[in-house]
Amino acid sequence: MAAGISRICIVGGGTAGWMSAAAISHKFKNIDLDITLIESDQIGTVGVGEATLPHIRFFNRALGIEEAPFMRATEATFKLGIEFCDWGRIGDRYIHPFGDYGLPIDNLDFHQFWLRQQQAGGTGRLDAYSYPILAAEQGRFRIPAGRNDEIGSNFGYAYQFDAGLYAAFLRQFSERMGTRRLEGKVTQAERHPDSGDILAVRLEDGSRIEADLFIDCSGFRGLLIEQELETGYDDWSEWLPCNRAVAVPCETHGEPVPYTRATARKAGWQWRIPLQHRTGNGHVYWNEYISDDEATHQLMSTLEGPALAEPKQLFFKTGRRRKFWNRNVVSIGLAAGFLEPLESTSIHLIQEGITALIELFPTDRVDPLDADEYNERMGLNFERVRDFLLLHYVATQRDDSPMWRHFRHLKLPGSLQERIEAWLTRGYVLKYEFGVFLPPSWIAVMLGQNLVPEHHDPRVGRYSIADINGMLERVRLDTEAAVAATPTQAAFLTQYGAASGSSPRAARA
Amino acid sequence: MKPDELTIVVCGGGLAGSLAALALANALSPDVRIVHVSDSGEPADDFLYGSATAPDCHNFLHALGLDERTLLLESNTAFSYGTDFRQWAAPEPWMLCHHAPFPAPDGIPLRHFLTRTGAALAPLLISAQAAALGRFAHPPENPQHPLSRAEYGYQFVPDEWAELADRLAAGSRIERIREDLAGVERHGDLIRAVRTATGKSVCGDLFIDASGQNRHCLGPLSSQFRTTRRIRARVERSATPHLGPPCRMVEATASGWSATTQLQDSQLKIHIDASSDDDTAPESLPFSLGRLDEAWVGNCVGVGHAAWAVEPLTPAPMMLLQRDIERLLELVPASKNMAVERREYNRRFNNDLKHVGLFHDALYRPGSPHVGAFAPPDLANSPPEALQRKITQFENRGALVSYDLDPFNEEDWTQNHIGMGRSPRRHDRQLDAISLEQAEQTLATLRTSVEQVASRMPPHHVYLARFKAYLEKPRHA
Repeated sequence: MAAGISRICIVGGGTAGWMSAAAISHKFKNIDLDITLIESDQIGTVGVGEATLPHIRFFNRALGIEEAPFMRATEATFKLGIEFCDWGRIGDRYIHPFGDYGLPIDNLDFHQFWLRQQQAGGTGRLDAYSYPILAAEQGRFRIPAGRNDEIGSNFGYAYQFDAGLYAAFLRQFSERMGTRRLEGKVTQAERHPDSGDILAVRLEDGSRIEADLFIDCSGFRGLLIEQELETGYDDWSEWLPCNRAVAVPCETHGEPVPYTRATARKAGWQWRIPLQHRTGNGHVYWNEYISDDEATHQLMSTLEGPALAEPKQLFFKTGRRRKFWNRNVVSIGLAAGFLEPLESTSIHLIQEGITALIELFPTDRVDPLDADEYNERMGLNFERVRDFLLLHYVATQRDDSPMWRHFRHLKLPGSLQERIEAWLTRGYVLKYEFGVFLPPSWIAVMLGQNLVPEHHDPRVGRYSIADINGMLERVRLDTEAAVAATPTQAAFLTQYGAASGSSPRAARA
Repeated sequence: MKPDELTIVVCGGGLAGSLAALALANALSPDVRIVHVSDSGEPADDFLYGSATAPDCHNFLHALGLDERTLLLESNTAFSYGTDFRQWAAPEPWMLCHHAPFPAPDGIPLRHFLTRTGAALAPLLISAQAAALGRFAHPPENPQHPLSRAEYGYQFVPDEWAELADRLAAGSRIERIREDLAGVERHGDLIRAVRTATGKSVCGDLFIDASGQNRHCLGPLSSQFRTTRRIRARVERSATPHLGPPCRMVEATASGWSATTQLQDSQLKIHIDASSDDDTAPESLPFSLGRLDEAWVGNCVGVGHAAWAVEPLTPAPMMLLQRDIERLLELVPASKNMAVERREYNRRFNNDLKHVGLFHDALYRPGSPHVGAFAPPDLANSPPEALQRKITQFENRGALVSYDLDPFNEEDWTQNHIGMGRSPRRHDRQLDAISLEQAEQTLATLRTSVEQVASRMPPHHVYLARFKAYLEKPRHA
């Protein structure tokens, strides 16, 4: 099958473009694909997702990327979870960990035993049974060494990195794998007169690039998927109304911590992502309830060190492209849709898009059936992330500002409402198979935001309180001991050969 | 009410009632009262639980105290690698076997190799190959060994298993009332008590209807049973000189199909007659396939045939019964207000029934013009959308469409598609990196290794006899 789809054109560099180029050029290295990526140094990248989810490790591993050199090149730190501050109530904090609480006992969920203990008057926090939470709180890290059903190894981890450097790292990788990079701005698309498919794009300098399949990684604009094909966009601001952000890096003081922080504000929330050489910060907000100036002021006045650049303003609308794959254009990254980076899902959704595209990669022609299947799969991914994000806003007791009062009166999607009720009744977590967030994530957020179940699973009733206390105490001590034997992240980065050695960025005097 | 002060009344004997009562008694605090009201015999439709299980039934039964040793030594249970379909959509037999994830040479799913080369699937699968040769051995621990990919379920007789469960229950705290059910006493939309034939009234908080198609408890509660098809079924058991192959055989007949199950001392044959209202076979049992709209109504949960009836064409009936009980255990009400539990139970019930329905429906939709005696019953003309998507995508490019928590896995669906003659129009691009000869060579190597392993395995009856002798040694007592 020498003919068929062989010319692939990726429009846009950035994280989405270079992740796509890297994965496709690697996966299909033995077949005759001609991959071109067009990017312009004049167009900045958004670089929203500097924090990732554990799945990114599988992406890198599939490409054969070694961890330590990759971390050096991207100024990466390890990430054990996300700390949420002021979400349930002002003054609250909790960590959403990448990993389980305790281990199942006789096939029953560990948190049910803890719930029973609480309902019998216990006071210990569930966090005491989570290795990643304790290690994060103490700034410690090591790679899980044992089996994932052992205390101290029952966790996953991700990275916090400089997305610009990651794109550059993958650019080198892709170019080694044969991807051709073209510098230039796409100014025009040429359509097939009959089929309406995109035949070619024209660059500012007049050159013309033909391809069989286009991957639109042009960001919010959706140069091909929207500006040319007018695919349409499902607006989800009804549920997730934040529509602007302002971002700025600042100096890091002290050792970087192995977790991301998201602090709720009166009209949005603020992120803090510690890398090896600097800290990324941003304020996501709803412009209906706060002005751009005030949002920027709030961000700049709460930085932990001097700013390293001018704050950058971003505009967005939460939602998804009506068709992620339309005709011979597949949109990946911000061109596909936007969900605020509260749970570090931006890069994850890029990864899911690439995985699905590779599985459904066109053969002899662009087949609408392939596109249908791709759109179904990605639609489910986006929707499930949306519900999980929404949970953070609605599981709250805050009513100190119009935005929080708005969420307290919001009518939820039915599926989310049922999840919350099942949890509140008996600590039951509705399960699904296809979706990024597993039960421990739901438990972390619901408990962390003060949704306390009234009952527990009656099956736990067959154990006496004394037995439960004993079992829980052993797990607590084991977890504590495992954390105590863990080095600090800074020590581990050095020992692991992942320290970049670059001097920390400092603001110009 | 504290959860511990609950009284659960299980109504109806036979496989569903006995397993449900035992499972509840094992899972819940001794303070929860479990009463099992069941008449003398098992429901007449129990044989339609089918006689074969999927691999995950092992752990389910084990947790109830019905371990493999008990099943093999105290009943006629035998091993099952799956189902051998004869005259079903194709003149050649084909296997629906239990198998760990299929090998993926060079990271490329096996099905794409088949599309590229036109090779057959079964000779590449150790469980299918062993079943075809009538051989069996337990999978070894070493994951490199080809036999480690074989998964197995059981061939069994429902009434024998019900008896084993009853025997365990007899030594437990379950209060057994051996009387026929006569009716229910209602209080609004709830059941207050069930009444026995001698006029005894058994009060409870939660009632489990396991009375088969009699629906003694659910019947009065107005849950709608939707019949999709009426069939007639009968079963016959005949002695055999020695145990047959480790698989069931399903064969299309002129008016339906029959399933032959191999047991230690005998062979069980279930006949399904799709021409329902025919009185020519008076010894057969009329059976309405279908399901309740909701299996949990008020404070009453239907498990097994009280809630649904599917053909025992695959291990589906036993899979569903197991899931009914697991769902029930996970959702034993935490308080008298059961609204959340009821809704979630019914959501999952719907999901399970839907998926099993799709899998069976797909077994009646040949991808190529059918040959032989196979006669599809009068199903609705076009498949449901969810199935259409699966079929379309498989035929399009061998893509497997998956839905959340389908009891049938990718391996089952791949075999269903291929067995029914659905073939992908094209293969995956990654295979273009390999020449046709290389692809064929890869499969030949795999086939040879499967053949070699299968040919060295002992015959099913020899293995089972040896294994039983081993289990009977005193140290295992």
